[in-house]
Amino acid sequence: MNQISRRGFLGTTTAAAGLALAGCGGGSDGSKPAAKLTGNRTGAMDKYAVGDQFKATVPLSFSIMHLSNANYPYKADWTFWSELTKRTNVTLQPTVIPQSDYNQKRSVMVSAGNAPTLIPKTYHPDEEAYIAGGAILPVSDYLELMPNFQAKVAKWNLNGDLDQYRQSDGKFYVLPGLHEDVWKDYSLAIRTDILKQLNLDVPQTWDDLTTVLRAMKKAYPDRYPFSDRWSTPPQPGANNLLAVLGEAYGVWAGWNYQHANWNATTGKFEYTGATDQYKQVLQYLNTLVSEKLLDPESFTQSDDAARQKFADGKSFVISANAQELVNHYRKDIAKISGATVVKIPVPIGPIGAAKTGIRLENGLMISSKAKSGKDFVALMQFVDWLWYSDAGQMFAKWGIEGTTYTGSVDDGSFKLTPDVTWAGINPSGTKNLQVDFGFSNGVFAYGGSTKLLDSQFPPEELEFQKVMGARKTLPLPPAAPLSSDDREQATLWQTALKDYVNQQTLKFILGQRPLSEWNAYVSELKGKNSDQFISLVNKAYQDFKKNHG
Amino acid sequence: MVTLNPPGSPQQATRGRTRIQTTRGYRVFQVCNALILTAVVVVTLYPFVNIVAQSFSSESAITSGHVNVLPKGFNLTTYKKVMSDSAFWQNYRNTVVYTVVATGISMVLTTCYAYVLSKRHLKGRKVLIAIAMFTMFFNGGLIPNYVLVSDLGLRNTIWAIVLPNAVSVFNLLVMKAFFESMPAELEEAAAVDGLSTYGTLARVVLPLSKAVLATMVLFYAVSFWNSWFSAFLYMDRSDLFPVTVYLRNLIAGASGGTDQSAASDTALQIASNIQAVTIVLTVIPILTIYPFIQRYFVKGVMLGAVKG
Repeated sequence: MNQISRRGFLGTTTAAAGLALAGCGGGSDGSKPAAKLTGNRTGAMDKYAVGDQFKATVPLSFSIMHLSNANYPYKADWTFWSELTKRTNVTLQPTVIPQSDYNQKRSVMVSAGNAPTLIPKTYHPDEEAYIAGGAILPVSDYLELMPNFQAKVAKWNLNGDLDQYRQSDGKFYVLPGLHEDVWKDYSLAIRTDILKQLNLDVPQTWDDLTTVLRAMKKAYPDRYPFSDRWSTPPQPGANNLLAVLGEAYGVWAGWNYQHANWNATTGKFEYTGATDQYKQVLQYLNTLVSEKLLDPESFTQSDDAARQKFADGKSFVISANAQELVNHYRKDIAKISGATVVKIPVPIGPIGAAKTGIRLENGLMISSKAKSGKDFVALMQFVDWLWYSDAGQMFAKWGIEGTTYTGSVDDGSFKLTPDVTWAGINPSGTKNLQVDFGFSNGVFAYGGSTKLLDSQFPPEELEFQKVMGARKTLPLPPAAPLSSDDREQATLWQTALKDYVNQQTLKFILGQRPLSEWNAYVSELKGKNSDQFISLVNKAYQDFKKNHG
Repeated sequence: MVTLNPPGSPQQATRGRTRIQTTRGYRVFQVCNALILTAVVVVTLYPFVNIVAQSFSSESAITSGHVNVLPKGFNLTTYKKVMSDSAFWQNYRNTVVYTVVATGISMVLTTCYAYVLSKRHLKGRKVLIAIAMFTMFFNGGLIPNYVLVSDLGLRNTIWAIVLPNAVSVFNLLVMKAFFESMPAELEEAAAVDGLSTYGTLARVVLPLSKAVLATMVLFYAVSFWNSWFSAFLYMDRSDLFPVTVYLRNLIAGASGGTDQSAASDTALQIASNIQAVTIVLTVIPILTIYPFIQRYFVKGVMLGAVKG
């Protein structure tokens, strides 16, 4: 361990020195690194622009880490591979890694200097571990080679989102999946037959939800109408409920918890667990618990226990996503006659009909060795086409027109061909889009326009998406990337703070500690360095704004 | 072959019973003993029987927690799915090959090393022991090992799995203790009759060491059978994976289950008992071999330990 961190330190210093030099170089002749790539154009297209089909001028091959998903394990004879080569003149050489331990093998291969050129399926901030060693390319320096990427960022106004991925040097090291809009899946599921029976409407706001729960309680005084799940530690419990409720109040909570919350009024970050909004969230839940509307076990019970209560009709409301609703809840309640359940649009809170979230997804790192390769420009063009062009995204997700699908997603005429099945579409189809063809593979297919995303949903989920899509997307907080030294210090503080916030969150909600002690709690947080942590973040924000804003 | 009867062995007990009238206290002790041991058997056997039952049960019975000793809603979907996959059999074959080759190599190396170390007159014996012991407490670490194996060109070959773990120091020491306990006179007699060192080892020592050899084979075979990490690390092609890597991935996929929208009934059934099915399938070969080696196993471990 010591050895590695010492090496890491050396790496950091070298990288920092290198960056300083690179910075000077860039400053002196005023050109970007991408402009100098005259000796690296083998196979590259001279005029490659948005809308063009990338095709290497000579056959090329690139190595790639390939995550072998257990549900559609890697096959060398997938149509995906052969069609990709046909269209782009590029052959991919995969290093196959089982999904179960992908990250570990990635770490070993990158650290040992043995990594393939393309390293997909990297979730921010995993890439940060490799930056100091210099093993991965600062891809943001080479965006000029990627017209489709740039076009999407401009069209969907993604610069604020990308800032979240930037390091304190102003660069980002992973090419993320780009989404047109924030995609929401998690919400609450409600027994609609009970609503009907009690003559209630689907709750639109969190206050409506309280009213509905009260009415349910009145009709069924012997049970808790709401018993929740997703309480895996280390979060406080009922992690989805806290997350969606927090979002409605404009604060990070539950499994979305982040320590720094942006206050647009003051232009500064605040410690999340000490904000007024966080207090209001706790207050709301405390009311539900004290009126016996929300099962106190919601915060500790296993998912199975919560599901069981819902299945037995002992509760009527539970956290949900599309998959849980269809795969479990509907089947669970089938034995109760007349029972029906839907996933309701996320109830609206004080911030109004809005949603927050980042529009980036896991993405691709590129080995820094690739830069010296003769075919580097072609590599970047290839990546740009496959992951960021409309045609490339359509190909990776739905395959080949006429073979696996017909129609177009833009006019809604899209359909899988009848013998091709995927995730519940065409259940009688004999060939599986993922297993037999290699399309819709998580390594290649993600991101894209809302229309492309919607093409995969059944009508019911599409309704939900329509409601959520109509809500305004709030801007993300500004970027405040910590330097690697600061990050180490911050992590130490965060660990202690998080434990304490979780523990006290639960006490406030369950009424074990009265909310009148809120101020005492805030000063206890200060005793655990919340102030120092926040000033570190605010300083990082100021620095980033000054240097790269 | 000289065998000692440890106190409490069946022979002694039988002899005891013929001489001494069993007292009331002893009978109470026996009843308690039987009860406690039966409880131990139940406690150790139940989880296994439960897993077997789960592997044959339906999804609804498993998620509602109704499966105990007998399967509920008999169902073979997951077995069919796992066993109809050609990759599963390919990887199963890999496991068998890796285990057999690795165990063979390990046995040869460990036996030779242990035999040498058991000779007290050997010069530098302590250094040789120290070298072996050193590796018990220190190693190069993950990444240096990976770099070493890569640079030796062993990646994507069976040797990456077989060679780095060929000698287990624990097994080596057990074996050394066993050889040390062997009467020196036997070997002297063999030497007088004209056998060379290798002759003595092959014709006198090894035939007398079946107990420890069987134990070591079992130890090595089980550990190679169960191992997945070095294969996962050094193999870049899925056709080289052992079945453990395959199953590990299957379990991860089934329990992860975050893959977009609705899964089919089959997928749900598989997710619910894939773990049970895989445990049963991987454990079967070991279970079938174990009873035949077990009698050596008990003796071998004890002999090594008593004298060590």
